[in-house]
Amino acid sequence: MNFSGLIQDFGPLTIAGLTQGAIIALFALGYTLVYGVLRLINFAHSEVFLVGTYACLIVWGFFGLDQNSATPGMGAVIGYLLIGLVAAILISGVTALAVEVVAYRPLRRRNAPPLAFLITAIGASLFISEVVGVLTHRNQRGVPNLIRPTDVLVIGNMHITNLQILIIGLALVSMFALDQFINRSRLGRGIRAVAQNPDAAALMGVNKSRVIMLVFLVGGLMAGIAAVMYDLKIGVTRFDAGFILGIEAFTAAVLGGIGNLRGALLGGLLLGLVQVYAASLLGSEWLRAAAFIILVLILLFRPTGLLGESLGRARA
Amino acid sequence: MLLELRDITLLYGRIQALHGISLNVAEGEIVALIGANGAGKSTTMRAISGLRPIAQGSIHFDGEEITKMRADLRVVRGVSQSPEGRGVFPGMTVRENLEMGAYTRRNRSEINEDMERAFTLFPRLKEREKQVGGTLSGGEQQMLAVGRALMSRPKLLLLDEPSMGLAPMLIQQIFDIIVEINQQGTTVLLVEQNAQQALSRAHRAYVLETGRIVKQGTGQELLHDPAVKDAYLGVA
Repeated sequence: MNFSGLIQDFGPLTIAGLTQGAIIALFALGYTLVYGVLRLINFAHSEVFLVGTYACLIVWGFFGLDQNSATPGMGAVIGYLLIGLVAAILISGVTALAVEVVAYRPLRRRNAPPLAFLITAIGASLFISEVVGVLTHRNQRGVPNLIRPTDVLVIGNMHITNLQILIIGLALVSMFALDQFINRSRLGRGIRAVAQNPDAAALMGVNKSRVIMLVFLVGGLMAGIAAVMYDLKIGVTRFDAGFILGIEAFTAAVLGGIGNLRGALLGGLLLGLVQVYAASLLGSEWLRAAAFIILVLILLFRPTGLLGESLGRARA
Repeated sequence: MLLELRDITLLYGRIQALHGISLNVAEGEIVALIGANGAGKSTTMRAISGLRPIAQGSIHFDGEEITKMRADLRVVRGVSQSPEGRGVFPGMTVRENLEMGAYTRRNRSEINEDMERAFTLFPRLKEREKQVGGTLSGGEQQMLAVGRALMSRPKLLLLDEPSMGLAPMLIQQIFDIIVEINQQGTTVLLVEQNAQQALSRAHRAYVLETGRIVKQGTGQELLHDPAVKDAYLGVA
């Protein structure tokens, strides 16, 4: 146990954990949104994220950018980032919609039991991942150096980079926008209505199919943003990039209270922090195990997660 | 006829819940469905609002066949239901619940007008405006469900047990309000355990037994029918 290391590096570790946590949190939203409305764990969400990590790379490739390109000027970087975000958001959103329409909707029409949805979810996840694997010959793909991490803020031994600020900032802005959409807009109210009482929502004139498509789409958009940030942070992606991170995002959603948007944020940030603290304390090989030990401990005391379920609070 | 059910049957799995129900509601009427628990009253309501598909028969509303129409589209046509168990959204405030009632409408000033009307009909809801539905008392939830059903400006208002769980004084009040709503131009079809109140307020009524209509007539006729008195009015 390396306590002195943890204490000494507490500041830098915290920033690293929050950065990782921000990506996990955005990723987790897709699980929590779909669960809130359908009581379904959409395991294919990890591949919705995966295609996003490739979408921006492919688009950047059109502009001749690859892992060996020199970092462009500031203006160009902002342009490329926006284009990459739009591409990832679009492709992830469309993939999420396709999974709903192709895989889940036919089951719903036939009133299939929950197990059928579960195995379909796993099947859809494997299918997309394998298709990406075949198309990329299972090679990893490097990310252009759009942002060279440089310290922009130094507090004691805490060096905060431009990339960390971008990731945390973008995640918070996206979460805030989503929160406003769900809680203030008419469509957001429709989503909450279906989550809380699907029959009563239909009696209000809410088209359930449309709400379901909307939550898949919105979850996909958020995963697309997470995918671009992941690319920039990690520097490579691969056909199985969604798998482990997907499990972590799912864990974060459960940790915060599945079905609860703010819970996903809290769970994601907490998970990111726990991982880096544990890695520092016990060695990096414990990074993944620590997250699950925390999950089990928290669920022992709060079975519905830290914040409980709110999207479909006390569903009738 | 505003609403016409022709010979509808409905199945819950293998159990047949409705055995050929035919009934109609004319514009401007209050029509009551009375009967014992399990007679099929709520099931009939669910068939009309579209929450449950029917096996046979047809449903016509306002000159159009709606037999297979989705529930949310029936709301757009002018059918609105306050469901059994009230169906209040527990995590939304009273105001948000009422907003949900106006989900299919866009005209903001009209929606605000109707919101004020709901608050005038049910002053209690105004006091609870910012409270979430799950924390309301049973009576308040009932008022909210009825107020919310009005928010779509329906042609036909379906009320499933509006007096359920209410104190006797409130029962009088809610029926007064139903009559008032009707006099303002909304047609009402209601299901009631409280047959006394329902029959004395309704223009016409149907009596259901085990998924069949066994009797119909004006409210007054049924109120004085010996068999109805015996079975549903609890008169010794």
